[in-house]
Amino acid sequence: MPRWLRWAWLPPAVFLAVFLAYPLVSLGLTVASGEGAQAAVDRLASATLWQVTALAVLQALASTLLALAVGLPLANVVSRYRYRGRALAQALVTVPFVLPTVVVALAFRSLLGDGVPQGFALVVLAHAYVNLAVVARIVGAQWSQHDSDYENVARTLGATRWRAFVDVTLPSLRPAIVSSAAVVFVFSFTSLGIVLLLGDSTTRTLESQILRQTSVLLDFPGAAATALVQLALVTAVLLAGASAGRRSAARTMRPARLLPMPSARVPRLAVRATVSAAFVVVLAPVLALTAGSLRAQGGWSLAWWQSLGSVDAGTTRLGSPLSALTVSLTYALITAAVAAVIGGLAAVAVLAPGRARIVAILAMVPLGVSSATLGLGTLLAFGRPPVDLRATGLLVPMAHALVAVPLVVAVVAPALRSTDGRRLAVAATLGARPTRAFMTAYGSVLRVVVIASAGLAGAVSLGEFGAAAFLSRAGSPTVPVQIVRLLGRPGEQSYGVAAALAVILVVVTLALVLLVDRMGGTRSRSADSGVAVTRSRSAT
Amino acid sequence: MTAPRLETRGLALGYEGQVFARGIDLRLAPAEIVAVLGPSGSGKSTLLGTIAGVVPAAGGTVLVDGRDVTHEPIHRRGIGLIFQEPLLFPHLSVSDNVAYGLRRHGMARADARARAEELLAWVDLAGYGDRRPDELSGGQAQRVALARALAPQPAVLLLDEPFSALDLDLRQRLASDVARTLRQAGVAALHVTHDPQEATAVADRVVTLAEIGA
Repeated sequence: MPRWLRWAWLPPAVFLAVFLAYPLVSLGLTVASGEGAQAAVDRLASATLWQVTALAVLQALASTLLALAVGLPLANVVSRYRYRGRALAQALVTVPFVLPTVVVALAFRSLLGDGVPQGFALVVLAHAYVNLAVVARIVGAQWSQHDSDYENVARTLGATRWRAFVDVTLPSLRPAIVSSAAVVFVFSFTSLGIVLLLGDSTTRTLESQILRQTSVLLDFPGAAATALVQLALVTAVLLAGASAGRRSAARTMRPARLLPMPSARVPRLAVRATVSAAFVVVLAPVLALTAGSLRAQGGWSLAWWQSLGSVDAGTTRLGSPLSALTVSLTYALITAAVAAVIGGLAAVAVLAPGRARIVAILAMVPLGVSSATLGLGTLLAFGRPPVDLRATGLLVPMAHALVAVPLVVAVVAPALRSTDGRRLAVAATLGARPTRAFMTAYGSVLRVVVIASAGLAGAVSLGEFGAAAFLSRAGSPTVPVQIVRLLGRPGEQSYGVAAALAVILVVVTLALVLLVDRMGGTRSRSADSGVAVTRSRSAT
Repeated sequence: MTAPRLETRGLALGYEGQVFARGIDLRLAPAEIVAVLGPSGSGKSTLLGTIAGVVPAAGGTVLVDGRDVTHEPIHRRGIGLIFQEPLLFPHLSVSDNVAYGLRRHGMARADARARAEELLAWVDLAGYGDRRPDELSGGQAQRVALARALAPQPAVLLLDEPFSALDLDLRQRLASDVARTLRQAGVAALHVTHDPQEATAVADRVVTLAEIGA
């Protein structure tokens, strides 16, 4: 092992201390100092807080149930049967999952227009849409390995098709269903972009409440109390989901193998119909969004696209909507570079002897902290004297890097662990110096996974809304922030320009994800988990 | 001669639109145990799957007690099936596994439990009812699978190399146990295997796939 490996943990540790621990401590101190502590405790007793919590729980439950109701049949058809277009269907199901939530919200507005009034139903619908892939992927992975001979046994013992499903298949899928439900619940419960754009007073989440308390009411103790409640609830649900998932004991499993299409007419038609419906459901909002960007004054027009470059079309005096794209792309680049280096080093530390590997575990912590909490903490730590970094434009990419680091570690560390370390010894016996030997053994793997996860980090940054909403400077918003600001203004132009921006964001995000998928072809499993983690951040 | 318990007439086997055997004619008398001998990959499992209804027939008919069941759903054929693996339902106790088929045929829970205990005693597993399937050895699990398959009193029991996953020593012992149990149950059974020794140990009559037309 090269000597520098012993110190690989240091940069990630410093980064986490400065950009995670310090902001959270600042948040804690603000709450605990002087009257703040008492104020925060008072807020914990406020009726509004618990009303919002109850409504958010209700909303998240409804979203989870709908996502399961649609996602389970989808999991069945995209992961079990063999037919032409299956790979396409599987990729398509993932699309809503990687789209920025702000874009999804706008797409739903474009699709449903004023037909469905804003509020509970629309928010639940959008959450279910976004989270279909969570259910379809997690449950589908388990379902594709479930041995259907268990159902055949039940059938020969006298069970009907449905009965065999309930008695045999469902119990074996239960762990996957529970853990995917926990994830969907948390995403919906901590949702921000969708709630802001599609919701009303009945769909507030704690996340949107934190944003309101800090930016409108300037009630910091209140925001801290809200963040605390959210943290406790999210942790509880995720722990419950994880413990249910661990009890899996997948004993009805065999190596995944695709089944032929059912031979009976009705089941075969059901599979075909479900696949077709999935195509329509997934694509309709995106197409409606595109159409929305092309319609002006009752006809088709490129007017909104042409006005993207003009300052008047934006919401600031300083830049055009297109300049938001420049801002977002710059932030995405910085995020990708920082997250790749910090996350890469944290993952490499796994290979070092001793306690250095703890840093890889610590690097996963940002996953458990909500974007709004993180944004608020960062604002308190670096957004006011004595340390005011707001003008540097570094706060947003640093917050984005923080949320992307766990994803880089989640992709890189397993890849390194599954690489045969004996190659290092072979290289060393052939005369390679330690660093050279290390690169011979791990270099090729590292290059692929680090670049791939950097791409995912960039995608996270492009779509992230929660932290950016806190930290973006007024004059240089990111694209998601610009979209939300545009939609806060009335008028056909605001909507059209927002839609055009959203379409650009869709194209860039999909291009990035496809690129990553292609690169990670040989390591598709790691890339998959990476995409899953991506979502966990941009959802908020 | 009595009417055959199980009969196939010109049965054709296929998988995903490809037919690989036609004209299979097979007759099982009541309580007769027939072994079908053939090398691995010769379509033995597909033959059993087709008779049970797990795999759709590519042609021909399957009759149980003279009744055409070719287009009946699996659960209404009255045909039991034992796979190479025991495939015990992992989330049910041993006793609930055995009682499963009885419950599906409308027996009350308490009665099904009691009957399951009797059946477990019959396969030398008295007192194992409350265990979980993963607490059993391979041979014990396959005996539970046998009790479970026999519980609803199928007209015919199909056995698909039921001992192939076991050690040689255990395989021989279990083969004679199973033969005895099947005779006591008086059930007609079709046993497929690639092992001629096992075939003669279990069956009244041994046929090869070639002989029956496959």
